[in-house]
Amino acid sequence: MGIVFGRILGSIFGNREARILVLGLDNAGKTTILYRLQMGEVVSTIPTIGFNVETVQYNNIKFQVWDLGGQTSIRPYWRCYFPNTQAIIYVVDSSDTERLVIAKEEFHAILEEEELKRAVVLIYANKQDLPGALDDAAVTEALELHKIKSRQWAIFKTSAIKGEGIFEGLDWLSNTLKAGGG
Amino acid sequence: MSGHDSKYFSTTKKGEIPELKEELNSQYKDRRKDAVKKVIAAMTVGKDVSSLFTDVVNCMQTENLELKKLVYLYLINYAKSQPDLAILAVNTFVKDSQDPNPLIRALAVRTMGCIRVDKITEYLCDPLQRCLKDDDPYVRKTAAICVAKLYDINAELVEDRGFLETLKDMISDSNPMVVANAVAALAEIQENSTRLIFEITSNTLSKLLTALNECNEWGQVFILDALSRYRAADAREAENIVERVTPRLQHANCAVVLSAVKMILQQMELITSTDVVRNLCKKMAPPLVTLLSSEPEIQYVALRNINLIVQKRPTILAHEIKVFFCKYNDPIYVKMEKLEIMIKLASDRNIDQVLLEFKEYATEVDVDFVRKAVRAIGRCAIKLERAAERCISVLLELIKLKVNYVVQEAIIVIKDIFRRYPNTYESIIATLCESLDNLDEPEAKASMIWIIGEYAERIDNADELLESFLESFPEEPALVQLQLLTATVKLFLKKPTEGPQQMIQVVLNNATVETDNPDLRDRAYIYWRLLSTDPEAAKDIVLAEKPVISDDSNQLDASLLDELLANIATLSSVFHKPPEAFVTRAKPSAPRPDDDDFPDGGEPTAYSESLSQGSDRASAAPPPSSSGAPQPPAPAAVPDLLGDLIGLDNALVPVDQPAAAPRPSLPILLPSSNGQGLQISAQLTRRDGQVFYSLLFENSSLAALDGFMIQFNKNTFGLAAAGPLQVPSLQPGSSATTLLPMVLFQNVLPGPPSSLLQVAVKNNQQPVWYFNDKIPLQALLMEDGKMERQSFLETWKSLPDANEVAKELPSAVLQSVDGTVERLAAANVFFVAKRKNGNKDVLYLSAKVPPSVIFLVELTAAAGVPGVKCAVKTPNPEMSLLFFEAMEALLK
Repeated sequence: MGIVFGRILGSIFGNREARILVLGLDNAGKTTILYRLQMGEVVSTIPTIGFNVETVQYNNIKFQVWDLGGQTSIRPYWRCYFPNTQAIIYVVDSSDTERLVIAKEEFHAILEEEELKRAVVLIYANKQDLPGALDDAAVTEALELHKIKSRQWAIFKTSAIKGEGIFEGLDWLSNTLKAGGG
Repeated sequence: MSGHDSKYFSTTKKGEIPELKEELNSQYKDRRKDAVKKVIAAMTVGKDVSSLFTDVVNCMQTENLELKKLVYLYLINYAKSQPDLAILAVNTFVKDSQDPNPLIRALAVRTMGCIRVDKITEYLCDPLQRCLKDDDPYVRKTAAICVAKLYDINAELVEDRGFLETLKDMISDSNPMVVANAVAALAEIQENSTRLIFEITSNTLSKLLTALNECNEWGQVFILDALSRYRAADAREAENIVERVTPRLQHANCAVVLSAVKMILQQMELITSTDVVRNLCKKMAPPLVTLLSSEPEIQYVALRNINLIVQKRPTILAHEIKVFFCKYNDPIYVKMEKLEIMIKLASDRNIDQVLLEFKEYATEVDVDFVRKAVRAIGRCAIKLERAAERCISVLLELIKLKVNYVVQEAIIVIKDIFRRYPNTYESIIATLCESLDNLDEPEAKASMIWIIGEYAERIDNADELLESFLESFPEEPALVQLQLLTATVKLFLKKPTEGPQQMIQVVLNNATVETDNPDLRDRAYIYWRLLSTDPEAAKDIVLAEKPVISDDSNQLDASLLDELLANIATLSSVFHKPPEAFVTRAKPSAPRPDDDDFPDGGEPTAYSESLSQGSDRASAAPPPSSSGAPQPPAPAAVPDLLGDLIGLDNALVPVDQPAAAPRPSLPILLPSSNGQGLQISAQLTRRDGQVFYSLLFENSSLAALDGFMIQFNKNTFGLAAAGPLQVPSLQPGSSATTLLPMVLFQNVLPGPPSSLLQVAVKNNQQPVWYFNDKIPLQALLMEDGKMERQSFLETWKSLPDANEVAKELPSAVLQSVDGTVERLAAANVFFVAKRKNGNKDVLYLSAKVPPSVIFLVELTAAAGVPGVKCAVKTPNPEMSLLFFEAMEALLK
């Protein structure tokens, strides 16, 4: 039974790896989240000038996770990674209220991209461990998530340092992808 | 790539790039790897695959070493064409430089150094810094070279990050390969820098000598090259170094051998013991000989180097001439070089053997080689007087073979032999004349004609012989025409009979009217006028005794030879050209265009002179020219203002400035147009309480000048040379500076004081040159001219008012009181007191002019406004005019 079921799943999903981009402003916590997902621990990071790519196996899905540098100088090259992307994890530093406007603008610019119009969007309101961090509702408001139409999305409160909320978000993502949302 | 990978070269489908793009983004690792291989294959055959940059770079983060290497290869090639996107690779480099695998760490740091994109170099400094301190020596040694590469891209960054210090510390590394690469990197950096960066000290010296024994052959070459630029402190140290290095002479790698030879030759310059030198020469011979048993290409390189070594130290290979005998199957380029060295090594002892060889070569088939062999016999004849006769008999035997080009070549060299040994071998002229009809090469013809003209009185039918050439005069090449002209004139002067007279008219007519060649025409006119005005004078000129010639063909100028010897085992010593003649290096200060070609990174050959110059400068001994004068150690602080003074006026020379450096600011006293190419610039200066005459000689004439002497006419201060003028022989185009110590009151000119200094300079080649100079009083002011206020006042009062003279110095200016005081004190005009008078400053100063004339000075001026009033009171008011001039110069 298990074998048959596995084969059916395989036929639906193939051996495909889901290609996922982790985007967000610099210092949002993208690299920390990536290695939290991959190794389950917190690594010390330096600003990513370029990219990191790791494969994460979760819920029977292989995710090929691309963590792209968030610095202003690198953001223009995000588009090189857009083709064939099933999902975007957009990471927001919830405590950096001053730059939420920029985060919003970058986010909506991404949503406009033709190549990403079928991509599922998962938002991490990160750094919840910091004092003064906005909660998910406030981040939803700030990013104007309600404007998103014809796309599946979800927002999770996370703390990459403490490991909270990340896998819940990934659960949602894998379920959505399995359900053919990708 | 392994053999079966060749299939990746064979795709010819359309839309290759989109197809590759798709494959590069495949989710399957194998397909991605194959795709990268296809990309690299396309790249190597010259297709532009730069548009796949991000797709390839995305494959960079892989644990597969093969794939990583391929992506790195791609990056090195295309990073420059995609400088913006190259930044995407940075993070991977940073990660890889921390990889647990040292091979990957080293690979990352090596590739980083090869990516010449300004935007990303800064990000690479941190990884580089880490790798320089890596635990693994392989990573450290790779990082060391990377510093040199980075220096080429951004020298400032390297210096700011302290990488140079790290490199210097690496000379003390425990691993010899790291030491060798640090040395290589430092040497390369030094080459691109004008500043002294890499200096071997006695401390690093021992580290290098230790590492030398342990590191691999190429590391040894780097270390030896660096050591050859080290100047040992004394003969003892040089001997010690050489002793440690001599085992390298036995190395199997010829690069190591040559570098060791270079290093030993350099240090030998310092070794005084003849025994040690003889011993070293003995030790260097076998390794050099061994080099000649390798492949012809290496033989050639060895021979070119040996050519230089033999010119400097002929004794090394004096007994090894047999090694240089040509083998029948040597390639022609090896044979030619061997011949050259045989000539250089030929001596009275071995000449018989050598001549046998040459004679043999002169019968070979290769025409160029045969010609060179015949010439070699002639050069030996000129070089070795006692063997000349044997050489000539060999030449005559060769002429008897009646091989045309041999005969012609022999005639050319025999002409030189006649020139070298006049009136000795003319008996063979008859034999030469037999081959007259076969001469068809201009040089041989010209030589034969010269012989006929020169010995016209001994050749009975000289006029007939010349006449036979004259028939074809208009068709002959210029070389032959010129010789015909001269020979006919000689014939006429020697046998002024009717036949020659007619001939000379024909020739002069031909050479003046019917030619377009200005040289020929001018020479003909000169002869014509000479003959028509004064035939006796013509005889004196045309038949004058000729200077003796020597064989200096293929001899290098001494300074060039030394430079080439310092570059043994590089291309420079093979080309026999100094490196700067064929290597152009972008100096780091020059802006570097982005599309600059990637230079050969690790090429050690073109090792320029900057390093040795740098160390020369650092260890500069007092210049030889001033060695006659006592040189007390330089005072610690020379005020900066002195520098300003120098710019305006050469009266004072800071003592810590090496005198050997030519100072263009010396006024020209004898322009080269008046001195037949010799230009003399000079000025009196004062240093450490002594007067010197600072001179610059520049020889732009065509002859070397030597035997310089100088004399001064009587003058007010009795200035005269304290010792002989020390100027080396001046080659054409070279210059020399010297500091001539002077004494005062040797030949005093009585009468009113005058600043005129008349100078006479002579040398062995030119007439005596006279020129006038001006004595700047500021060069004579004495160090003990300082006066106390009290004695200043008393002296001022004691002198009658008639002794006070005042003058406006319109071009002088008082910038600031303190600055002026300092400046003047440096020029031995000492501050006594000052006061304010309205908006003007009044300064009181004292000075002393030899023998001991006191000057009391009052300067009145508004600071910063041009125009200074200078009043002086002195027992000798006649001299105040000179004093005003000096003050004006000092205050300008």
